[in-house]
Parts: sequence; structure tokens; C-alpha cells
Amino acid sequence: MNEKSINISDVINLPLDTKEQKKAVDSKTPCVVDGRLKVYNPDEDNVKRLLELLKNKLSRQVVGSMVGCVHCGMCSDACHYALVRPYDPTMTPAYKADQIRHIFKRHFDWTGRLVPWWVHAGTPKDDEDLKRLKNIVFGTCTGCRRCTLNCPMGVDTAILVRLTRGLLTELGIVPEGVFVVSKDSWETGNQMGVTQEDYLETIQWMEEETQAELDDPHFKIPMDKEDCDFMYTINPREVKYDPRSIGNAGKIFYCAGESWTMPSWGWDQTNFGLFSGDDKLGGYIAKNLYEAAKRLRAKRIVISECGHGYRSTRWEGYNWAKYKQDLPSESVVVTLIRYINQGRIKVDPSRNPLPVTYHDSCNIARSGDLTEEPRWILKRVCADFREMYPNRSDNFCCTGGGGALSMVEYKPLRMEVARIKAEQLTATGAKIVCTSCHNCVDGLTDVIKHYKLDIKVAQILDLVADALIIPKKNEKK
Amino acid sequence: MSEFLRILEYEVQIVALAFMGTVYILRLIWMFRFKAGKEITDPVGNPRVGIAYSMMNVAMPWAMESARKNWNFYAQFVIFHVGVVAAISATFIIPFWPGVFEIKALVRIFQLALGAAFAVGIIRLIRRITSPTMRLISTPDDYFSLVLMSSFFASGVFAVPNEYEVSEWPLIIFFIMTTFFLLYVPFSKISHYLYYPFTRYFLGKTMGHRGVFPRKRGGERPAGLEG
Ligand code: SF4
Ligand code: SF4
Repeated sequence: MNEKSINISDVINLPLDTKEQKKAVDSKTPCVVDGRLKVYNPDEDNVKRLLELLKNKLSRQVVGSMVGCVHCGMCSDACHYALVRPYDPTMTPAYKADQIRHIFKRHFDWTGRLVPWWVHAGTPKDDEDLKRLKNIVFGTCTGCRRCTLNCPMGVDTAILVRLTRGLLTELGIVPEGVFVVSKDSWETGNQMGVTQEDYLETIQWMEEETQAELDDPHFKIPMDKEDCDFMYTINPREVKYDPRSIGNAGKIFYCAGESWTMPSWGWDQTNFGLFSGDDKLGGYIAKNLYEAAKRLRAKRIVISECGHGYRSTRWEGYNWAKYKQDLPSESVVVTLIRYINQGRIKVDPSRNPLPVTYHDSCNIARSGDLTEEPRWILKRVCADFREMYPNRSDNFCCTGGGGALSMVEYKPLRMEVARIKAEQLTATGAKIVCTSCHNCVDGLTDVIKHYKLDIKVAQILDLVADALIIPKKNEKK
Repeated sequence: MSEFLRILEYEVQIVALAFMGTVYILRLIWMFRFKAGKEITDPVGNPRVGIAYSMMNVAMPWAMESARKNWNFYAQFVIFHVGVVAAISATFIIPFWPGVFEIKALVRIFQLALGAAFAVGIIRLIRRITSPTMRLISTPDDYFSLVLMSSFFASGVFAVPNEYEVSEWPLIIFFIMTTFFLLYVPFSKISHYLYYPFTRYFLGKTMGHRGVFPRKRGGERPAGLEG
């Protein structure tokens, strides 16, 4: 699995591409016109702006991570970038965090203000420095938080990287992909720019497919139905590339005799604000969803399989939107456990005979709370489940985290770094790698293609649907 | 004991200690002036358990892969910090409870701890200088702090016998270093012990709230996964 190593200066010096920004300005895209989404202005004093923004973003937690690093270097062994490129010191998490730490020290910390050179405190000279900063925080970190959990001091490097991304987003100094996805999120309420029409048509199509599969014309994917047990929210990728997962969910809910609904607006459980560091966007998307559940008087929110979507909807979104949690929300994985436990669905593991391994999504295992639940299900729906090592909160990122899939310019580096994931996958001997994240599906697919592995990617819901024993019509209550 | 050494051991130390304490209080006020983030979601785990787990992390090398994979480094960490405790204790024992160092076995234990910490300090300095990764992230403060600590340990080895009647120089050097140490530390990265509770508290609170801490290893099942 050896391959040519990327010259890191080619990555760090990638120029800022603003074609999409210009297009958005020319076509008077509302979120750009009203300033919700910023475009790069070379005439502005961007360094000064960055310092003002930084001042407003400093919380006690952030300051703790700014001042707490002792430069012990322990985090370098935790990061997949640093492990694959041990000869490249710029891959060390502490180095990446130091890029913003130096600025913080120069302007907010005593020693840095008095004797900057002593602690390497400094201010970016110009926009070129900010563009290099963009390439470091967007291009060399997937925000996986592996370094965070391996730092003896408890320094949260991933949070500092996200903070820096957020500052640069406010200046329009972002990769093109980040700009485009943010624009789509503001404009359409979902990160893939799926139109309302496409969304509803896809649901309709899946409803018909599932009716045929179940041989029941009464099967429905209930839209905007009030007072249900839960509101089901999905990843726009399911509409665009994997509608089968919506059908599978419907089929399982049908067999479990569930009372559920999907909203026609506020249905995107993913949230690009997590990746771009834009709390405003994060709050907007999350609030859409919370308000939809309120509008429909749902008793809970169920989140389809997506790592960052789960993290955003279940945890961060409430904080970004300053929205006090008023309903329980859970991953669909937890819903499935309830069905199996209560005997509401029956599964036959022999229908999934191939060896299956499980990839823990970073956002679920390190920033969420689900490590045992997916395994509990897989052991019941697969005949041959195998662990991947390391696993749970020690697992390595699929390399598609942190919005990396939307930043094509960094893909060569990402694929080089993916070697560690490829080796992990190969060692299991599994034929299927299961994950509970749509983003990881794409990340893992890239790894598998690039390293030519004989493995397929699946999600828990797919495997449960495959193992599902569909009751005969007269058996169903 | 000469008057010079006496003043150095008592008055000078007390003034330097008061200075350090004052700077630390100001530093804490500075930290507390930044707003604390608030978690407004329903918890899955217990934030208090998460905080306790996070704080104890340093004493649980099995809980962190970086320590599990680097036992050697973890051992160095323990030895170094035992040396820190020994050196700081000596700065109080010598002037205030000199009788303690009349117990020769105790003096040997302190010398062993300080000598081992000095050796670790040198190993760490070599690592910081020779490893390109460490060089890239190191600041002058990082090098100086390590040199300072290592010299402090070395001077402690000769000071703890507290034999001023034989020669005062080991004690004079040790207490001059202590004074400098007390004045310099609040402005250097050596203050990390002041920040440790902060970073660990916040990380533990969030991770405990979300049920990530205590970290689950294979075989542990959260409630609800019966059957
Ligand atoms: S492990 Fe933590 S303290 Fe050590 S260099 Fe990395 S971030 Fe800094
Ligand atoms: S968050 Fe992950 S990718 Fe980023 S520096 Fe830390 S370990 Fe590396």
C-alpha cells in the first residue's frame, strides 16, 4: 500500500479560488446579498477582522485549549495524517492548533504580548498568510478529535481547528466546496441543494417501491402527519444517491407497527455548520428541524444514520441555535434496538452471511455516545461479525470527516492518509464494512476504490432490512 | 547558616511565593472573564462522572492510546512529575521542617527522585532537539522551561542533605533557582498545572454529559442493551 508522498507545500500554498463566490454575487444569491454568507473581499483588512472575530469567539473552554498545550507531542501518534506521514512534522495536531494559538498568544496572552518571540506568538502578515491558514485547517485535519482524546492535558485541538475554520468562513477565505455547500444550506435548508419537489418525489417513489416489496398498497411514508411517535429526519444524500435507505427505514417502521412521519421542511439532519465552523448556519439548520418537530407535535426526533448529522442534531445544534431541548432525540440505531428488544421486528442473521466489520464514525464514537449499540444490532443481524482494531473511540477516521468530501483540492492528501484506514479494513478480512454514517459511506468508498479493496460498504439499516423477516399479511396486527 | 542564606530561604521565598500566588489569582480571574459554554441538551451520561474520569485520566495510562502505546513516555512523565513534587517539597522542608532531612534514608529517596527526574529532563531535551516534529512545535519557552526544570532537579540533589555547615553553595544555588522559578513560572508553560483542571474539567463535562466518558472498551454495555 505504498504510494508516492504528496509535497505538503503544494497543499499549503493552494490559492484561494473564488469563482463560485463571484457567481453567487453576480446572480444576487439571497444569503450572499443579505450577508449571511460572506464572500472574500481583498480590499478589506481581513487580518484585523479576524482578530475582532476571534475576540468574540473566545470562551473559557477555547481559552483553556489555547493556553493548555505543553507541546509534549503525544498527539502526533493519534492523528492519521501524522501517522501516515511521520517525516512531515506539519501534520502534528499541535502544529495545526498552534496556527491559531500563535495569534491568540500575540493578542490575548500576557507573555505573548510582552515577549512574542519567546512563545512564537505572532499575527498573520496579510491575506496570503490567511490563505495558508485556510489550507492547514481545512486541508490537513478532518476534525476527528482523535488527538483530543489522546492529549494528556485535555487540549481540544479539533475545537481550535473548527474555531479557525469559522473565523475564515466569516472572511470568505474558504475552499470552494465549503462555500458552495454553505450556500446550498442557506438557500434550500439542506446541504445538497435538494429541491422541495425532488424531496417529495423521491419519498413518493420510495413509497411505491416499498408498497410493491411489501405487497401492501396501504403502506405509506407519512408526510407532515401530526401527533406521531416520532419525526424521522434524513441526510440529503439519501434523497440524492441512496433513496433505498428511506424505503428500508419505512419498511422496518411498517413491520414494527410504528406511528411516524417525515416533515416536508426541516428534514435535513446533517449540518454543514459543524464543518465550516459557522455556528449561525449550524443554528439555522438545526432550528428548522426542531421547529418542524414542534409543528408536527412529534413525541421524539429520530435521526437516520449519519455521524455528523447525529452529533449536530442531538448535541451541537441545540447549543448553536440556543434552543432548549424540548423533545427527546435519538439515532435510528437506538430505535432499531427497541424494536428488536420488544419483539416488534424479527431478524434472521443467516440472511447476512458474509463477514461484516464495523467502522465507528468519529462524530458518533468520539463526540457522541454510540459505540455498543451498533455492535449489539450487528451481532443479531449478521452471521459473522468481526471487530476492527482499534475500535470505538479509538477508531481512525474514514478520512472523509470534517467536510473533507466537499474539498476536492485536498483529495490527494486525503487518499494518501487513507492508507491507515485501508490497512485497518484489510486486517479484518471482512467483505462488508458497516458504518452508521452516510458521510463515512462515501469516505470509505473512496478508500476502498483507491486502495482496490474487495470490500463493500453498508449501513446498519441496510443490514437490518436484509435480515428482516417480513410477517405474512395475516400475521401482521 | 549565613544571614544571606537565611534570608534567601525565608524572606525571599515568601515574597516570591506571594508574587506567584498573586499572578496566579490574576490569571484565574482572567480565565474566568471568558464566558463558559452552556450545554442545553438532555444528558445521556453524567457530567460529574465525566469530569472525575477526565481529571483522573493522567493516572489511568490504560485509558489513553497515546499512553498505552508509549509506556516508556508515560514512565518518563511519572518520574519527571515525582521529581517536581520532590523539588517543591524540598523548598518547604529545608527552611520549615529541617528535621525531616536528618533522616538519611529520606534524603536518599529525594535524591533518587530528583536524579531520575533530571535524567528524564535530559532525555526530553534531547528528544525536543533531535525530533523534527518536536523542533517544529517547540518555542524558546519550551526549551528554557525544560532546562530550568532539569537544573532545578540537579541542584536539588545536592541541596536536600541540607548540610550548610559543610558548604552553603548547594543550598544557595537551589534557593536562587527556586526564587527565579517562582517568578518565572507564572509566565511560562510550566503553569500548565494551573490550566490542567480547566481543560480537563470542560472536556470531562461535555464528554460525560454525552456519555463518551468514561470511555467504553470492548464488552461494556450501556443500560438498555439487555438480552
Ligand atoms: S498532546 Fe496535547 S499538550 Fe501535548 S502537544 Fe498535543 S495538544 Fe499539546
Ligand atoms: S482532529 Fe483528527 S485529523 Fe485533526 S489534527 Fe486531530 S487527529 Fe488529526
